[in-house]
Amino acid sequence: MRRGWTPLLVGGAVVVCTFALAQAEIFAPSSPAGTETVGDVSRGETVFQRECASCHGAGGSGGGVGPRLVGTGIDAATATAIVQQGSGVMPAGLVSGRDEADVVAYVVSISMP
Amino acid sequence: MPLADVAETYTDLVTTVFSSAIAAKAWFATAAFALAFVQVTTAARIYGRLRFLSERGPAIARVHRWSGRIAFLCTLPVFFHCVTILGFQTPDARVALHSLVGTFFYGMFAAKVLIVRDRTLPAWALPTAGLTLASMLGVLWFTSSLWYFTNVRFGF
Repeated sequence: MRRGWTPLLVGGAVVVCTFALAQAEIFAPSSPAGTETVGDVSRGETVFQRECASCHGAGGSGGGVGPRLVGTGIDAATATAIVQQGSGVMPAGLVSGRDEADVVAYVVSISMP
Repeated sequence: MPLADVAETYTDLVTTVFSSAIAAKAWFATAAFALAFVQVTTAARIYGRLRFLSERGPAIARVHRWSGRIAFLCTLPVFFHCVTILGFQTPDARVALHSLVGTFFYGMFAAKVLIVRDRTLPAWALPTAGLTLASMLGVLWFTSSLWYFTNVRFGF
């Protein structure tokens, strides 16, 4: 094989490995068995920064239109209800499905006093 | 240590300095992008361009090598969080483009490192690979850090 192909082949192999790693999400926290509605805190942080941080502040630290969430002791049921039904100026259903479960998990994790 | 705890440990570690894991990524990627600019300008000088930069020779080659090494190190925490915790995502065009380019980034990096050492390749191969790599880092920065700084917050 001509030597010039080596960078292309090695680079291609690295791309395939990276994609496989990304698909595996090996360090993504998984849901405990039988509790598939439990969200993923790390993913929830990403969703939160994208959808919620503009009002609740980065990391839920407040400073925007929405209240501070850090250390407020919100439980999963309350967070889910607020996400689904809205509250005050917060519209209902800002996130849904897996994003909702993940962002609720994240909000619960930061709201623990 | 269970695998899931690795993510928590990582988050705990970076949040000793930054406000969140996302903020840490944004700043590491910014450092890597800034160093990529140093890489491109020093490479251009090595190739005889940008003559207004005074020095050409071993010193500029050293700056080029070390800026590349440090830039690579800066990308590692970003790689760890993006690839092993978040994975390949396509919820919108920005994230899909970021995921796609990010998947190819280390492949391009490996190819570029090999091209540097392969003297049988045509002269255009190395600058093309270097510019492609720097451009990919630029796209990754624009679709993540810049978005974070302009849409979420500009701060640590």
